[in-house]
Amino acid sequence: MAKVTINGIEVEVDPSLTILKAAEKAGIAIPTFCYHPRMDPAGSCRICAVELEDTKRVVMSCVTPVADGMRVLTESPKIHDARKTNLELLLLHHPLDCPVCDCGGECPLQNMSFAYGATESRFESHRNDEPEDMKSDVLIFNANRCILCGKCVRICDEIQDVHAIGFINRGFDTIIGPPLGKKLDCEFCGDCLEVCPTGAITDHFVRYKYRPWQLEKQQTTCAYCASGCQMLVETENESIVRVTSQEGLGPNEGSICVVGRFGFNHVQTPQRFETPYMRVEQRLVPTSWDELLPELGSRLNEIRRKGTDRIAGLISTRVPLEDAYAFQSFFRRTLRSNMIDSGARYGFMNAALPVVQATGTLRPLVDHEDLLKAKVILVIGSDPVAESNMTGLFLKRAVRKQRAKLYVADSEAITLSSRASDHIRFLPGGEALFVSVLAEDIRSGGNISGEWLTRKEELFKNWNVDPGAYQRLLTDLKTAETGIVVTGRKMFRLENASESMTNLLKMIGDLGWIGRDGSGLLLLPETANDLGALMMGATWEWLPGLLDARDESSRKRWEGAWGTSLSYGAGGGLEQILQGIEQGKINALISLGENPIGHFPPGSRVREILGKLDLIVSLDMFQNELVDMAHFVLPVSSAFERSGHFVSAEGFVQKTKQTMANWGESLPDWEILERISRAMGSPMGIESAESLMAEIQRFLPDLSPSTRNGVHFVGGTGDIHLHRPVNSPPHKANRETVSNRFGAWSEYKNPVIDSVTMIPGEGEFVFSTAKSLFHSGKMTLNDPNLKKIQSEGKLRINRQTARKRKIKKGEKVVLSSAYGRCSFVVEPSPMVSEFELIFPEHFADAQVLALFPPSMTFSSTTGAPTHHRVRVSLSTDTVS
Amino acid sequence: MAETKHAEVTYEDIEEICEEFANREGAVVQILQKVQEKYGYVPADAIEFVGEILEIPKSKMYGVLTFYSQFYQEPRGKFVLRICVGTACHVRGAGLLVDKVKEELHIEPGENTEDMLFTLEPVACLGSCALAPMAMVQGTAYAKLSADKMVSLIRQFEEEAVKQEEPV
Repeated sequence: MAKVTINGIEVEVDPSLTILKAAEKAGIAIPTFCYHPRMDPAGSCRICAVELEDTKRVVMSCVTPVADGMRVLTESPKIHDARKTNLELLLLHHPLDCPVCDCGGECPLQNMSFAYGATESRFESHRNDEPEDMKSDVLIFNANRCILCGKCVRICDEIQDVHAIGFINRGFDTIIGPPLGKKLDCEFCGDCLEVCPTGAITDHFVRYKYRPWQLEKQQTTCAYCASGCQMLVETENESIVRVTSQEGLGPNEGSICVVGRFGFNHVQTPQRFETPYMRVEQRLVPTSWDELLPELGSRLNEIRRKGTDRIAGLISTRVPLEDAYAFQSFFRRTLRSNMIDSGARYGFMNAALPVVQATGTLRPLVDHEDLLKAKVILVIGSDPVAESNMTGLFLKRAVRKQRAKLYVADSEAITLSSRASDHIRFLPGGEALFVSVLAEDIRSGGNISGEWLTRKEELFKNWNVDPGAYQRLLTDLKTAETGIVVTGRKMFRLENASESMTNLLKMIGDLGWIGRDGSGLLLLPETANDLGALMMGATWEWLPGLLDARDESSRKRWEGAWGTSLSYGAGGGLEQILQGIEQGKINALISLGENPIGHFPPGSRVREILGKLDLIVSLDMFQNELVDMAHFVLPVSSAFERSGHFVSAEGFVQKTKQTMANWGESLPDWEILERISRAMGSPMGIESAESLMAEIQRFLPDLSPSTRNGVHFVGGTGDIHLHRPVNSPPHKANRETVSNRFGAWSEYKNPVIDSVTMIPGEGEFVFSTAKSLFHSGKMTLNDPNLKKIQSEGKLRINRQTARKRKIKKGEKVVLSSAYGRCSFVVEPSPMVSEFELIFPEHFADAQVLALFPPSMTFSSTTGAPTHHRVRVSLSTDTVS
Repeated sequence: MAETKHAEVTYEDIEEICEEFANREGAVVQILQKVQEKYGYVPADAIEFVGEILEIPKSKMYGVLTFYSQFYQEPRGKFVLRICVGTACHVRGAGLLVDKVKEELHIEPGENTEDMLFTLEPVACLGSCALAPMAMVQGTAYAKLSADKMVSLIRQFEEEAVKQEEPV
């Protein structure tokens, strides 16, 4: 330890710390421009100058380590002069256009100039007059306001690892921008915008639309993916102006991705439903809650009287815990139906079911901080950067800063592939065979034999897996101190996803990772509250707390808790619901933000089946195919208008908050359900989201809120102080409980052999959809900001293949499968393999889905639809 | 100034250059010099290819390229008239040489002639003050120039160019 005296205050600190950090410990703030706590120091802005009392020397506190006995002055006449001179120099070229600058009012340069009185400069020079770089649709670079601190370049390099911008030219002519005078082409996370200490980087969406001091800031949880990012929603007159963050805030530590930062405008667009609608003579007409509810109530009562399981419910997993809880309660208690399912059925359920079977919990064994400590990480069946951006960020950091060994196993190159020590390629869909062989290899301790041996050879021969890379991965997995497997959407959507997940779990168990701290499996759910909605029992299999809904004792437990008898039927998920409707056993469907028609190929007749219903109620924000068929359309609150909690991929239970005024007459889902129940004459008695959460916590105390880096506010527009919560309840699974359960599960489980193959023939491709970085579900297609960033879906094709077949960027091609054809605009990419074609799922409309088999096929183990990949051929002849 | 025609750059050509330097990240400046030697300037495609091969982000490549004034991003004339305007040459009338070239070829400093034969490039000092006023074209120094001598030099280069184009 080193003893340092700063402004007369003696502190004892780690000698590896810089003066700046030591001062922080002593509670002394030193002004900075280029310093950033998550990045390596640069020492370029010279504003953090401090004086060493003994030598009278001025040093930069952000790059100077402390030494024992050092005496430092952070404010002295000498320092004051140094900083003032520095500011004068910085202001030499600065345009002083603060009145029209977006940054005015929250500008460190402005504040510092005010503090040090550097209003006039003794130096003379020309003012820079570089025209603004307006080429990008998102960010604007104003070189004149730039003080070249380099924070934006560094955050793009060091934190985002995107390297989209850099220093251009030299000396006085240096500017910052994208290379080659081209339009900015990046992930558009906006971190550079966030860290810029001046108005040199601004964004198109809100430019000139606000003054910072008029905005009210509120912290909330991002409702898109399951990263659980904490962000600040800034509003004026209760409408959202912008979304920002704060260094260190939340599990995301202050970074937010493009969707979270810019995807806030769909909630305030005119297309959004403002009033309830009722179908009168084939047409949807606007109405009021008072007029609609009695009618809806009596129609539901009529159907309810027919018996149990007569009314089916679907729920989006983008709703908070509270609403998911109210949903299942409404169905099971009020409607006496267990015909309920969630959006997780399309993918995540394939992982959730085996994981709960094996471990008894949906909470993860590892979190993002464990990624930073892991020695070996395998990313398989997932593109974390697009699917769960913060996980992607932590993975990049794990490799870059912690030197973790990263393996990526995927048919295509993902963003992380270039950081991986090995990218193991296989044919599209090879995850299943790969995982099963790997699991068996580990189970058998390297003595793989019999049919497995053939399978392993097949992996190398037919699936193009590099045996060397496979062996390296195998050795590293077996010898690593700590290891983590990260998996996501692509794995969840395999035809045999649940078998593959079982194999993966078995493998992790055999590696001994279940009982080992810092090792395990990290699932990347597809939406913000996949985990929470399932924990709340928003699926026919589970009651709240993941208790088996078909099990008598679990049912008894909740009967006791709720003080009612539960008399719902056998129930069923999406598959049984569609069957039941077709057979006339289900007469009504209430959908909370789900639209099954949009998920199935048009030939699968989902629309016709739903047409047999006597009653369709859709709770949604925007028009869609189900809304077009609905008898009642009820406007629902967006994530920005309600309070509740989301469970992140890391297991944090975080609060989402009402930050904008209610949109028209829209209401949160729970309140709509409560009003319907009242109209039916059997009120659920829910008072508020808070009372719902209180009830949830009473029965499931482990769901009390938790987060990594908390904050408290000083006034709505004032400073924000960060703190690390001390008594946060555990967010990860309890390893001991999991180990005990897992042992019993694992005993009779052996790796299952994969049986589905889809190897493309000569001239054929495997067509599939993927999540785009710039959208989340279909909802964000209504967002003007994100629409501007990505307005249409393009078919990604291997660059060499495109060149060989003379297909250029932007040209049209036609894909034909055994079931249909569809034309696409092409985007050649070096990432995609020559065996596959990939299209963003958000833009996959009926025409695109027509390529998939028109029969409805569901997994026999999890009931998940299995039509996610299809063999296609490609032709450039668009006429025929 | 006419629309400049950019060079056709192939990945394989750039690969060859990078391989000469064992694809070392540290050799990026030499590689760019080689590229410039080959094409007369550093074409945008070459930047992307070099970046891809050396695994240097495009933004960093562009930073290096724009940092050094020795690199050019636009095609240049066959004959780059590097007229010294350093102190000694200036005193001995380098300004007149530059003016004469401007008048004769209708180009400003840094510009190319429409036929891409000449580029006018006044430079600070070529270290041959004893020869002032002097210029350097295609690696050859021309000493004790005058405006008239400059014109005849230009004529000489023009003839050379015609000769080279004629089939042998």
